[in-house]
Amino acid sequence: MDIASTQAQIARLIDLLSTWGGPIQAVLPFAAIALFVVAVVPSLRRWLPVALGASLALLVIGEALLTWFHWRLWELCQVVNPMTGAVHGSVAVPLWVESEKLYVWGLVVAVLGMSIRRHRAELLPGAAITTALLMFGAALWGKPFTEPLPQFLGQYAGYLQAMGSGVPQLAEQAFRGMEGSRQFYYNTWYMWVHPPLLFISYGAFALSFIATLQMLRTRFSAYETTAYRWARFGYLPLTAGMLIGFPWAILAWQGESWWWSGKVNMSIMMWLLYTAVLHARLYLRRRGMWRWVAALAVLSFVVLVLTYLATYIVPGAHSYALAAPPPAAMASLTPIAGGIA
Amino acid sequence: MNDPVDITPVPAEETPARPRVAASSIANARGWDFALMMATVVLFGGLGLQSFLGTVYVWWAENSVPGWNATGYPGYIQAMNAIAAPQIILLVVIMGLCVPKRLFSRTALLAVSGGMLACGLLVWAVDGSLAAGLTAYLFLAALIQVAVVVMTVAGARGPSYLTEGRLTKTGSGLLHLGFIVFAIVVVALQRSTLMLPVFWASTALMLVGTVMSFYADRLAVRRVQRVVVEREF
Repeated sequence: MDIASTQAQIARLIDLLSTWGGPIQAVLPFAAIALFVVAVVPSLRRWLPVALGASLALLVIGEALLTWFHWRLWELCQVVNPMTGAVHGSVAVPLWVESEKLYVWGLVVAVLGMSIRRHRAELLPGAAITTALLMFGAALWGKPFTEPLPQFLGQYAGYLQAMGSGVPQLAEQAFRGMEGSRQFYYNTWYMWVHPPLLFISYGAFALSFIATLQMLRTRFSAYETTAYRWARFGYLPLTAGMLIGFPWAILAWQGESWWWSGKVNMSIMMWLLYTAVLHARLYLRRRGMWRWVAALAVLSFVVLVLTYLATYIVPGAHSYALAAPPPAAMASLTPIAGGIA
Repeated sequence: MNDPVDITPVPAEETPARPRVAASSIANARGWDFALMMATVVLFGGLGLQSFLGTVYVWWAENSVPGWNATGYPGYIQAMNAIAAPQIILLVVIMGLCVPKRLFSRTALLAVSGGMLACGLLVWAVDGSLAAGLTAYLFLAALIQVAVVVMTVAGARGPSYLTEGRLTKTGSGLLHLGFIVFAIVVVALQRSTLMLPVFWASTALMLVGTVMSFYADRLAVRRVQRVVVEREF
């Protein structure tokens, strides 16, 4: 493993991403503001499909660039055992972690927004506003093009430094941490499936929420049907995404306190509430039941937003909050990797 | 979990002459269904509220009590488990009541449910483990649910559902079977070599059941005319 060459190639790759993606990132907040304005000003609404389509095109171009960046990282970032010299494999960083989360979520909501058929005129502004907020957040806080993957690149840089330090214990410790992250986080199939499923469900629930608000405003049952159709569309990937996390958590978080941790609690609460909505609406024909269904649906969406924020606010095994172990401490995963050392 | 606003007429060949049932009996059954559903929703709400309060507590403790993760977390887990246990047991019992309700009349249902509970309590008393008692109870519920699914697929008249259409009913039956099997995984199989295969089986049942239940109208080979009634609440 040529450490100096790898470091130089990664630095050049980050520069290239910044050069090509920087303009996209610079345009994102302005595109978001334009989309927001077109969505909220009634006289401009006829341009909304065009504005949302243009935003989607911008997001897709950026995502293609990010995909290329991840592909190149996969080619460059190998994990080598310093004791044996054996190559354990490359790190396949998923396309929706760290700085790229809000960006991908915005992309998913834009796609869902463009696919709206039923009550399109009423739902499209909400989808556009949600997309605009996510684009704005991605540009301001995510910065996927100018500050890409800070945690992964920081950890890998530390690993390369340790490998080149000439101190065997330091190199072995860094290797254990990096290999733990590779095996049980970045390269695990779960990380490639779980987040996109949740992004799709969150996007669908956002549209369901908008339709619920329309139902509350107009008291027209057709909006409830639309809200239900988006809710059922979101419920399926939510259930699948949460379920497949169960065996992964048992294996990867063995020995860690993850039961009843903040994010897990909130996720369970969100799923329970949406399950309650889908059950309660079976009795929609009962007098006044629609109010309960609407209240549950609104509460469910509020909890969805809190669940997302919990990742950053509430410490725990499934969290980026301060008290959580930093990703570099994924070395704690290595004991279950068995034969790594 | 189908769409109550959409009225889907059932083709004549799917609606054989049903035994005439008194309107009051139907109303009773509906009231019983509604009570069970409301109890389920209330328990979901209770567990949800507990999850929320637990999250707020974790947030507070992590930020206010130095070293809480190492010192206070085990006690917190114990407290959360103690609060959740009766709610989960009630939920399992209600699920157990929901399963045979598809097969038995209300009186027989109470007897069957009582028998299932007695079996669970007996296993708990003999084995000394609550998990064993719950497993026995869930296993019986799973057996009945399998019978319900088989009868539904076969088109038997026995099982009663709130929903219409065989695909929707089968989907509902499968997803509830999936939940029961998943509950067995959580209660009994977490450290077993059977955990993964049984877990994947429960996941498949739930997801296939949900798809069938939600999208029966699109999956059906023989489609029926759909009349959408839109109205003001």
